Amino acid sequence: MLVVMTRLALLTLALTCTTVIVALTRPAAAAAGWCWPNCSSYGMLGPYTSTYNGCWYSSGEVCSGWSYWSLNGLAKTCYPGCDAWGQTGGEVLYGFENSQRIRGKITIHPGSWYIHPSDVGMGGYLRAQVKHWSGSASQVNVAAAG
Amino acid sequence: MIGRRALILALSATLAAAVAVVLATRTDASKSRPLSRISNPGREVALQRGELTRRLGVVNATLLALRGTRAYYLLDSAHGPCGATGAADQLGKLGSVDCPLGPFPTAERPLLDLSVYEATAHDAGDLSLYRAEGLTADGVAVVAFVRADGSVALRLPVNRNVYSATAVPTGPIAAVIALDKGGKQLWRSGLTRGG
Repeated sequence: MLVVMTRLALLTLALTCTTVIVALTRPAAAAAGWCWPNCSSYGMLGPYTSTYNGCWYSSGEVCSGWSYWSLNGLAKTCYPGCDAWGQTGGEVLYGFENSQRIRGKITIHPGSWYIHPSDVGMGGYLRAQVKHWSGSASQVNVAAAG
Repeated sequence: MIGRRALILALSATLAAAVAVVLATRTDASKSRPLSRISNPGREVALQRGELTRRLGVVNATLLALRGTRAYYLLDSAHGPCGATGAADQLGKLGSVDCPLGPFPTAERPLLDLSVYEATAHDAGDLSLYRAEGLTADGVAVVAFVRADGSVALRLPVNRNVYSATAVPTGPIAAVIALDKGGKQLWRSGLTRGG
């Protein structure tokens, strides 16, 4: 009886941990703003991806509409695979853009990345953006808050 | 009697194997330790609460360094270890946060480049530096930003696990390289656009 109860407790613990991990790795919906491809799933960002709304680059980039954005968040997964160094095959530039420049940080790693416009020396009326920079397509979710 | 001897032999073999594994692991660990450790203890700081800290689930925030107008943090969060930056005059307010999946630092990932890059042309595939900064493992002594032809555009010493420069050269950057104190390349990240 004790063994069965211990196993059940371990199973419950394992399920709880799995639920927590899944919840943490899920894209976080923006409080108010813009998400790509939507606020609850991932999309593949490759060299020919576009939101067709006048982003800085005509292809390989997804961007929000113009607004007073305060935060851009990127969740990038290992899909379709990471190498022995824990790197994905695709490098992305994520941040903001205005009519003069596109500015942000670069990553090839899977993980969660957040950026405020002020941290890249920008402010005012902007677009939040993520650009496929090099390599293969990346599985990402983007969420910007205003 | 034979059964007892066999049992002792089996136990001895198991013990020897376990000791061998422990020794082998310790040897590997001691070799790679400078690349999987940040010795700078920093100091614990309270973060300003907001959308970002809510999303991150920060357990603990350590201020690693203040360099000029910039503050550098190491966070223990629900996403795991994160590197973060912010303005030095707004201590505890995070400007950007990088949370790579998995541990940091490691021999495979001894550097977290938090630099800001920019492009001012729509068609060119080049990125130039706006600001250079990041966190490294103990074993990284220098971080170099190199051009496509291999020449070094910017070479920054790592001081207490942080490298930082707000005065940066113009022109495209092709890669970031982490070097040890002997000049050996430990890690390289490419920025060259491939399509």
